[in-house]
Amino acid sequence: MAELDDIIHQPLRLKIMAALNALPEGQGLEFVRLKKLTGATDGNLGAHIETLARAAYVTVDKAFVGKKPQTTVTATASGRGAFARHVASLREIIAGVPPAET
Amino acid sequence: MSNIDAKQAAEALSDIEAIVRRVRQSRIYDLTSLILMQWGALVLAGYIVSYLWPRAAGWVWIAVNVVGVAGTFAVGTLVRRRSAVGFDARIPLALLLFLAFGYLNCYLGHFGPRELGVFWPIYFMTVYSIAGLWVGRAFVIIGVAIIALTLIGDVFVGDWFELWMAAVNGGGLILGGLWMRRD
Repeated sequence: MAELDDIIHQPLRLKIMAALNALPEGQGLEFVRLKKLTGATDGNLGAHIETLARAAYVTVDKAFVGKKPQTTVTATASGRGAFARHVASLREIIAGVPPAET
Repeated sequence: MSNIDAKQAAEALSDIEAIVRRVRQSRIYDLTSLILMQWGALVLAGYIVSYLWPRAAGWVWIAVNVVGVAGTFAVGTLVRRRSAVGFDARIPLALLLFLAFGYLNCYLGHFGPRELGVFWPIYFMTVYSIAGLWVGRAFVIIGVAIIALTLIGDVFVGDWFELWMAAVNGGGLILGGLWMRRD
């Protein structure tokens, strides 16, 4: 039964999770790199990362590299699992499997 | 619970694939740009030394290639340790075979210093441009630009050819690497 994840389903959050999921486990992307990859604005990206962090799908680490602040976003194990399930559901929908009842 | 049709699901999957492609390309650029800048600095030094001490040119270029291959391996190892990304150890091996084939060509072709100066950058950049057809257009742009400037130098630049090549080939590789890392 196809069951989409409402948190991941939003287009920008889907892109964020796709980008983070493409990295080896435990490795993250810097905020500026994520912004470039997704084409999002600072504010929009920040808000959606916060939503994902509240769901424990990503962790956000802030550090200083030299004198420059650097924010790194990393997908958690549960985020990776949720993303994999979401992608599987998308494939089921394409294959004609009916969506799950709410 | 979100409810979408097959068309929307296909669009979402297509968005995912596009992002994954961009992440992979960005990681390839990260590694390659470091290797490119390293070769750029070596080649720039090689041409300047060849211009100043032409008799030492043969040994200088052997040294440039040995240091270059070792450096490529070192950069790859460093990136692998830092990012836990698999660096393909076959890359330096492929580079060694590539260099061996180049040297064989030079030997069989009985190239003089000028021909050698034209052959190596064109040889390197042809393979580099071909790789670009798969991994990203930056490779093709940098490769074709350096080939064109090398040929222009061969035809129009006389005794200053080594210095022209130091700027075009060495400088071009360094600038190309910086361009790939501009974000």
